[in-house]
Amino acid sequence: MNGRERMLAAFALKEPDRVPVWEMAFNEESIIKLGRFFTEDLPPMKFAQQMTTEEKLKLVATLFTIVRELELDGITSIGLLGTEPVDKDHVKDGWGRILRISEEGEATAVGGPIAGPQDLKELKPYHPQESDLIMLMAAKGSFGDEIAQVVVQPGPFRESWTLLGSMEKLLFYYMKNSQFVKDLARVVTDYILEVVDMCADLGADIIAIDGDLAFSQTTLMSPAQYEEFVLPYHQEITAHAHARGLLIFKHSDGNMWPIMDGIVEAGFDGFHPVQPQCMDIGDFKNRYGNRLCILGNIDCTYLLPFGSEEEVEKSVKETIAVAAPGGGYVISSSNSIHPGCKPENYIAMVKAARKYGVYPIKIED
Amino acid sequence: MEELLLRIKKAVMAGEEDEVKELLERGLGRGMEPRRLLEEGMMPAMEEIGRLFSQGEAFIPELLVAAYAMEAGLEVLKPYLGGEMRGRGLVVLGTVQGDIHSIGKNLVRMCLEGAGFEVVDIGEDVKKEKFVEAYKEFKPQIMGLSALLSSTMQNMQPVIQALREVDPEALVMVGGAPITQEFADQIGASGYAPNAFEAALKAKELVERRG
Repeated sequence: MNGRERMLAAFALKEPDRVPVWEMAFNEESIIKLGRFFTEDLPPMKFAQQMTTEEKLKLVATLFTIVRELELDGITSIGLLGTEPVDKDHVKDGWGRILRISEEGEATAVGGPIAGPQDLKELKPYHPQESDLIMLMAAKGSFGDEIAQVVVQPGPFRESWTLLGSMEKLLFYYMKNSQFVKDLARVVTDYILEVVDMCADLGADIIAIDGDLAFSQTTLMSPAQYEEFVLPYHQEITAHAHARGLLIFKHSDGNMWPIMDGIVEAGFDGFHPVQPQCMDIGDFKNRYGNRLCILGNIDCTYLLPFGSEEEVEKSVKETIAVAAPGGGYVISSSNSIHPGCKPENYIAMVKAARKYGVYPIKIED
Repeated sequence: MEELLLRIKKAVMAGEEDEVKELLERGLGRGMEPRRLLEEGMMPAMEEIGRLFSQGEAFIPELLVAAYAMEAGLEVLKPYLGGEMRGRGLVVLGTVQGDIHSIGKNLVRMCLEGAGFEVVDIGEDVKKEKFVEAYKEFKPQIMGLSALLSSTMQNMQPVIQALREVDPEALVMVGGAPITQEFADQIGASGYAPNAFEAALKAKELVERRG
């Protein structure tokens, strides 16, 4: 089996030859730190937004080297919407969102093109350009169908709140102006459907719908609010992805138990990352293992940043023993390989997955 | 009187800002004590939301509208409360350097205000030196540090150390998605809570214990 076949088998809730290994995201610093194990030809340590085109290409090439050297079974591409600089810490994207560049990972929206319902009519929807998906094109060109091509796209909740520049504002309108929340979700869902089409045209296999809907204690919204404000749009997006021959899963950190039935009802094929601090992987496998492919669960909050390689191996072994039997499991960290993760620990995680992840799973207590 | 306090509580819980303001004005017009309107009308609303939140019957949207209604009500009462605004005490809050996330910190601010604290929010991506300056300037009862990422939570301990150099007795609370009680103990924090409501309860406890 090749990586793509392995990932697709896991999504079909079947046992591949071994547990697929994949990662939702790496960022600039973690790519460069991991890259040092495999190549000397590295870009300088800075944010992608501050890199020259040549340096950005080198960053992508380094990521490809890591994926190849570690024989990962899939690669994740992100949409790279063109941005223009606002000042040294901020850029503006095609929607007019002001993003603050962060040392610690992804850029975060701090200002939106709309302040509230009164501005919605004036909002000019952004239409995706093929150039936004240049990373997918490069990954497809480099790996073809050897490994699964995953594309991350923020979902309607995240796209909506970032247009307002603040999650609090959107959640406030959940209570105060439900029609506005739905009108805004309509605008962003139309955009997401266009992105899904473009991903299908460019040969993607799997769409990851990004945007946290929960935090460590509970979900950001009630199950009833999820059903009213998010679920119908999720259903539309998953139906469209399936019609275009794509698989699609939901990513959300945090304790998603209150709305997990909704995630299944929405038509997702999988769920990532089952955050170990707030969701037990054994419980999750029992309750949803026959309906959703499980991705993730190896702790990147404490274990990968501060643990030892032996502790990482132990956690991988235990997680595979619980999540992998019967298939439907893709191993990855519990969010991403962020700058705090020790590169040695990530490599130890991949090696342990190969050691213990051969089907049929035989792990003795 | 009692009925009016109950109506204020209900209006805060429902996030009816205009109604809260109107009811408070009515109470003041009848000669009711502003502190009573605050402590027996508005604050019980936030406590009730906190209880519903911990039982999974209220979520962040319900909390937000109640907190905004509470804020609107405080604006009405401020001129009458004067120096009493500090109520239970003053808390300075900030997200540590490298971290630009704000929602957790903002929810803690709202819950602290709902519990009767005055709060100075010094923002996100706050350097150690700025925490120290704010501590000297505002002389808070409690300093609150927030972090969302397991990489930025490492920036909490140097802030605690710097604050303790200024005041060895400084009360410092920490919170945020990756923080655990164990981590808080390890870095010498005075208190930790897993969510915004419990943070307000913890702050009350710390201030009361100090007396």
